[in-house]
Amino acid sequence: MSRPKPKPKPEKVERDEPSTDPYEAEVRQLEETWKRPPGFIGWLSEVNHVAIGRRYLVTAFVFFALGGLLALLMRIQLSRPENDFLDPDLYNVIFTMHGSTMMFLFAVPIMEGMSIALVPLMIGTRNAAFPRLNAYSYWVYLIGGLLVYVCFLFNMAPDAGWFSYVPLSGPEFSPGKRVDVWAQLITFTEISALAAAVGTITTVFKQRAPGMSLNRMPLFVWSMLVKAFMVVFAMPAIVVASSLLAMDRLIATHFFNPSEGGDSLLWQHLFWFFGHPEVYIIFLPATGMVSTLVTAFSRRRTFGYLALVLALVATGFIGFGLWVHHMFAAGLPQLGQSFFTAASIMIAVPSGVQIFCWLATIWSARKLRLATPMLFVLGFIFIFVLGGLTGVMLASVPIDLQVHDTFFVVAHFHYVLIGGAVFPLLGALYYWIPKLTGRMMSERVGKLSFWVLFAGFNLTFFPMHQLGLRGMPRRVYTYKAEMGWGDLNLLATLGGVLLTVGVLLFVGNFLWSRRRGLPAGDNPWDADGLEWATTSPPPPYNFAWLPTVQGRHPLWEQTPDQPVVVGLRSDRREVLVTRTLDAEPDHREVQPRPTLVPLWLALATAVGFVGVIFTPWAIPAGLILAGAVLVGWFWPQVDQDETLLEEQP
Amino acid sequence: MRSRIDVSDLPSTVYGHPAPLWWGVVGLIVIESMVFALLVGAYYYLRGGESVWPPPGDDPPLTLPAINLIVLLASAIPMHLVVRETDRMDRKPDLRRMRFWLLICTILGFLFLVGRAFTLSQMGFRWDSHVYGSIVWVLFGMHSIHALTSVGENVLFLALLYKGPVEEKHLLDVRLNALYWYFVVASWAVLFAVIYFDSGVLRD
Amino acid sequence: MKGRFPISRLWWRPAMNRRAIERRSPGELESRLGRRHSLARAFMPGQSAPALAVAFGWQSVLDSAGPQAARIEDLWWVYFWVCAAVFVLVFLALVMAVFRGRRGKGDPTDPGAPHPPASERRLTRTVAGATAATAVILIGLLVATVAASRATSSLPGDPLTIELTGQQWWWQVRYEDPTPSRMVTTANEIHIPVGRPVRVKTRSTDVIHSFWVPNLHGKRDLIPGRPSEILIQADRPGVFRGQCAEFCGYQHANMALLVVAEPPETFAAWYEAQLQPARPPSDALQQRGKVVFEALPCPLCHTIAGTQASGKTAPDLTHLASRRMLAAGTLPNTRGHLGGWILDPQTIKPGNKMPAVSLGSDDLRALLAYLESLR
Ligand code: HEA
Ligand code: HEA
Ligand code: CUA
Ligand SMILES: [Cu+2]
Repeated sequence: MSRPKPKPKPEKVERDEPSTDPYEAEVRQLEETWKRPPGFIGWLSEVNHVAIGRRYLVTAFVFFALGGLLALLMRIQLSRPENDFLDPDLYNVIFTMHGSTMMFLFAVPIMEGMSIALVPLMIGTRNAAFPRLNAYSYWVYLIGGLLVYVCFLFNMAPDAGWFSYVPLSGPEFSPGKRVDVWAQLITFTEISALAAAVGTITTVFKQRAPGMSLNRMPLFVWSMLVKAFMVVFAMPAIVVASSLLAMDRLIATHFFNPSEGGDSLLWQHLFWFFGHPEVYIIFLPATGMVSTLVTAFSRRRTFGYLALVLALVATGFIGFGLWVHHMFAAGLPQLGQSFFTAASIMIAVPSGVQIFCWLATIWSARKLRLATPMLFVLGFIFIFVLGGLTGVMLASVPIDLQVHDTFFVVAHFHYVLIGGAVFPLLGALYYWIPKLTGRMMSERVGKLSFWVLFAGFNLTFFPMHQLGLRGMPRRVYTYKAEMGWGDLNLLATLGGVLLTVGVLLFVGNFLWSRRRGLPAGDNPWDADGLEWATTSPPPPYNFAWLPTVQGRHPLWEQTPDQPVVVGLRSDRREVLVTRTLDAEPDHREVQPRPTLVPLWLALATAVGFVGVIFTPWAIPAGLILAGAVLVGWFWPQVDQDETLLEEQP
Repeated sequence: MRSRIDVSDLPSTVYGHPAPLWWGVVGLIVIESMVFALLVGAYYYLRGGESVWPPPGDDPPLTLPAINLIVLLASAIPMHLVVRETDRMDRKPDLRRMRFWLLICTILGFLFLVGRAFTLSQMGFRWDSHVYGSIVWVLFGMHSIHALTSVGENVLFLALLYKGPVEEKHLLDVRLNALYWYFVVASWAVLFAVIYFDSGVLRD
Repeated sequence: MKGRFPISRLWWRPAMNRRAIERRSPGELESRLGRRHSLARAFMPGQSAPALAVAFGWQSVLDSAGPQAARIEDLWWVYFWVCAAVFVLVFLALVMAVFRGRRGKGDPTDPGAPHPPASERRLTRTVAGATAATAVILIGLLVATVAASRATSSLPGDPLTIELTGQQWWWQVRYEDPTPSRMVTTANEIHIPVGRPVRVKTRSTDVIHSFWVPNLHGKRDLIPGRPSEILIQADRPGVFRGQCAEFCGYQHANMALLVVAEPPETFAAWYEAQLQPARPPSDALQQRGKVVFEALPCPLCHTIAGTQASGKTAPDLTHLASRRMLAAGTLPNTRGHLGGWILDPQTIKPGNKMPAVSLGSDDLRALLAYLESLR
C-alpha cells in the first residue's frame, strides 16, 4: 500500500468566516452525519463517545450513592456496641453489596466513563475506536448493576464479602442463589471493562491527532492507557475465578473442594492476581487526573513528564507482583512472602516519584490557583500519602499478620480508595463537567463541599486505624461493650454523616449548575488540553477540523499558524487513523452509524449469564442468541464506492 | 491564519497493524490467551496438590485426539493460502481461490469439531468425578467454545465470499478472521501438550 | 524498646492500663469494670466472674504479652515513627509548595513557556534526592521486616502441642499427648503454661477461620484441607482474648476464644483436672439435670466424658463449668446466661447451629445445676 504523503496546503481559513463559506456547509453536513437518530430508539442506539461516557458517569455515580447509603447503614449498626439495627444476615449482605458496588459498579466504571468521555477529545479525534463496542460495554455494565440491585430487592443479594472466599461461597456453605448473583455481577463488569479497555488501547494508539507522538501524549491519556493494559492482563484472572466458582456451584466441579482434591487457596491466588491490579486500575486513572489538574492550575508545564510516565508504567508492571500480600495470613512459605513484601514496598517508589513531581510542579507554579478542583488535589495528596504509608506498613509480614482483616486494613483502603481515587475524581468532575455540560459549577459550594468532605473523611476513617490496632476485626456485625470500641466507632459514624452532607453538596451543586451555572465557554480554565479546543459541550463530531499538536501542552504552545486537518469526508463517519508511535496520518477509517446491535448483544449476553443462575442451558441459549446478533454486527458493510473484487478469469 | 493538512488522499483500506480492527482482534486474542494461561496455571497448581495425576485408570485416551490435533494443525495451511491470496503483489486477489481454500479450512474445522465430540464422549470420567476431571473438562470446554465460534465465523466469511459483493476492505476482515483461527489452532496445540504429557502413553 | 515512646504509648494504648489493673484484687477489678461499663454489669447478673473482667479490653496489638507480639510491637513502632516522619515531611513540603506556588514566579499569561533551566535542574535534583531517600528508607524497612519475620517464626524450647479446629462458630481445642488417654479436649478456651512455646496446629472442618490472639502473636488462617501450624508463647500470666479474623458467615462476630496463660504449676493442675471424666451428680437436683440432659437432643452434638453423651459436632461439655465464657466468647459463663442460652440460643447468636429446646422451669433449674457442677 503506497500512501500519498499528506501535503500541507497553507491557505487562509478562519473559523468565523461568513456563512457562505464552505466551512459552514461542511459543519452542517458533519452535524447531519454524526447526530444520533431522534427519539427513544435513537437514544438506545447511541454510539457517540461523549454520550456513552456521560451515561457511564451518571450511572456510576448513582451506584456510588447507593453504595454510600449502604455504608451509612453499616455505620449506624456499628455506631454503638451490641446494636440491633441490622441482623447479622443483613449486615453481611450490606457490606458485601457495599464493597462490590463500590469496586465493580462505581470505581472501575467511573474511571472507564472518564476515559470514554475524555480521551478522544484529548487526543483530538472524532470518536472513540469501536463505538459499538463502547455502547455494548455500557449496556452490559448497566445490566449487571441492575441485576444485583433487583436481586437485592428479592433478598438474593450476595453475602460472602467482595472477595467471596471459598469454601464459604461454595455450594456447601452458601446454598441458594446469592453467590451466583455475585459471580454473574463479576462476569458482567469484567466483560464491560475488557471491552472498554480494548477500545481505549486502540483509540490511544491509532487515533491521536497528527503530531501527538507518544512522548507528547497527555498524562491523563497515558494513565488510561496503562490502566487499559492492566485490565487486559488482570481481568482474565477474575473471569477464570468466577467461572470456576460458578461451575463448582452449578455443575458440581471440584476446583475449590478440598475433599475431592480441589484447593481453596487457588481461589485466593486467582482473585488477588486480579484484585491487586484492580486497585491500581482504580488508582492510576486518578493520578492522570491529578497530573492534569496540577498542571492546569499551576500554569506551567508538568514537571517531570517522563518520570511520571515511567512511574505509571512501573506501577503497572509491579502491580502484578504483589497479590500475595493479601494472603500473608494463609501461611505460605516465608521466602515467598519476603519477595512479596519487597515488591509491595518497591511500589512505593513510583508512587513517591509521582507525589514529588506534583509537589515540584506546584512549588514552581507560575501562579497557583486554588480553585475547587485544585483543593481536591491538595486533599488527595494529604490523604493518599497517609493511606500509602499504611499500605507500606501492611506490606510488612509481621505487622500484617497482626492487623490483617481488622479495621486497620479498612482504614488503609478507604484512605487510598477515597483519598487516592474519589478525591481526584471529584476534583476532575469539577474541572471537566463544564466541558461536558457547558455550565460552570459553583465555586463557593464547591469549596464548601471540599472542606466538608475532607473533614468528614478523616473523621470517619482515621479512628479505624486505632480500632484495628485495638483488635477490632472487620466484617463483624456487632461487638461487646467491654471491648472498648464504642467511642471510636461512634466518631466514625458521625464522620459518615458529614461525608453524606459533602456528597449531597456536590450533587446539589451539579444539579444547580445544570440550570443556573454560568456558561462555560470553550476553555474556562485556560487549560492546555485539546479537549478545551472545542465547544462545551462538544459537538457530536468533536472537531470540525481536527487539531494538530506540536508539544505536550497543545493549547499553551499553539502558534498562530498551527495547521488543522482537513479532507475527512463529512458525509460519512470518518475518523483519521494515525501511526502508533509518531501519530503521522495513516488512513481514514469509516465508523459505523448508530445502531441497536450493541443493545441486542448485551441482552443476549444477559440471557446467557443471568439465565445460567437458574439453568446451565442458558449458556448455549445465550451463545446462540449472541451468535445471531454477532452475524449482524460483523456482517461487512457495503459501500458502493469501494473497489469490488471479482473472480479472476 | 491556519495552514491545513489535507488527508483526503489517504486510503481508507489497510491491512495489518495500522488498522484499528487489527488491534481489536489482537486485544481479544491477548485476553483469551491470558484466560488459557491462567487455566493452565490452575491445572499445574491443582496437579501440585495431588500425588497421583491423573487418577488411576482415568487417563484420557490418546489416539483420537492426536489425529484430531493433526486435522486442526492441517487446517492452518488452507487458511494460510487464503491469507496469501488477499495479499498478492502481482495481481488482484482471486475470489475463487479464496473461496476454495476457505472451504477446505472450514471442512477441516468441522471434522475437528466432530472429532472433538467423539473425544469428549470417549472420556472415561466426568467433570464432577474428581478435580482432574474438572480441570480437564474445562480446558476442553473452553477450547471447544472457541473452536465452535471460530468455525462459525469461517462459515460466515464463506457465505460472504460466495454471496458478495466483496469489497477490497473486506479482505482485512478475512485476514483478521484467519488470525483468530491461527490462535484457535495454536492454543489447542499448547493445551494438548499440557493435558497429554501428563497422561497415558506420553507419560511413560 | 518498651517504654521508649511514652507519648505514643499513652495515645495508642487500650483505655485501661493493664499493669495497674493486674495489681488490683479481683473484686476491685470487677467493680471498676462495672462502673465503667454499665453494660458489663448487665452481663454479670448476681454473680461475679472475676476472670472475665481481665478477659475484656485486652485484645490489642500494642499490649504484647509474648515474645512474638513484643517483637511485632517494636517493629510497629519503628514503622510508625518512620512513616510519621515521612508524612510530616511530605506535608510540610506540600504547604511550602502551595505558598510558593501562590506567590508564583514568571509570566502566568504564558503557561507554555519553558521554565528557567537552572530552577528546573534544582527541582530535578531535589526530586531525585527524595526518590533516593525513599528507596533507602524502604530498604531499611524491608530489612527490619525480614529480621522480625525470622525472629517471630521460631521459638526455642520444647513446645506443647495443641490441635485447634475452627468450626462455624466455635473452636475445638485438643491437647496432644503420646498417650491417648492423656489427651484433653475442650473448647473455646486454651490454657497454656507461661514461658513455654505452644505449637498450635490449625485445622478447619468447614470454611476458613483465622486464629488470632493479638497480645501473643499475629494471625494464622485455618484453611480446610490445608493443615498448618503456628507457634505462640506467653511471657506473663493473664487471660488474652482472641477473635476469629476471617469472615466465616453469620456469626463471624461471635467466634472468640480465650487464652489463659498460667504459671506451669497452675497449668499442670488444670490439665490434670481436665483429664478427669465428668463429675457424677452429687445431689438429686443434679441427678435430675443429668436425666434431663440425656433426654434432650443435647447428647447428639455434645460430649460429656463419662456419660453417654458423645456427640462431636459441638463443644465438649465435660468441664463446662470450669470455662469462663459460653458460646465462643459470646456470654460470660453464669447461671443466668447459661439458662438463657439453652432456652434461646438463636436470639443470642442468630444462625448458630444450636437449636432451642423447650424446658419447664423445674427441668431447667435441674439442668443448670447439673451443668454448673461440671467443673
Ligand atoms: C486505590 C487503591 C489502593 C492503592 C493505591 C493501594 C496502595 C497500596 N497498598 Fe493497598 N489495598 C487496597 C487498595 C489500595 N492499596 C484495598 C482495596 C485493599 C483491601 C482489599 C480487601 O481486603 O478488601 C488493600 C490492601 C492492602 C494490603 C493487604 C492488607 C491485608 O488484607 O492484610 C496490603 C499489604 O501489603 C496493601 C499494601 C499497599 C501498598 C504497599 C500500596 C502502595 O502502592 C502505596 C504506595 C504509596 C505511598 C507509600 C505514598 C506515597 C509515597 C511517598 C510519599 C514516598 C515516601 C514513602 C516512603 C519512604 C515510605 N494494601
Ligand atoms: C471506592 C470504594 C469505596 C468507597 C468510596 C467507600 C466508601 C465508604 N465506605 Fe467502604 N468499603 C469498600 C470500598 C469503598 N467504600 C470496600 C471494598 C469494602 C470491603 C467490603 C468487604 O469487606 O467485602 C468496604 C468496607 C467498608 C466498611 C467495613 C465493613 C466491615 O468490614 O464490617 C465500612 C465501615 O465503616 C465502610 C464504610 C464506608 C463509608 C462510610 C464510606 C463513605 O465514604 C460513603 C460516602 C457516600 C455516601 C454517604 C453517599 C451519599 C449519597 C447520598 C446520600 C445520596 C445522593 C443522592 C442522589 C444521587 C440523588 N466501608
Ligand atoms: Cu470463624 Cu470468622
Ligand atoms: Cu494489594
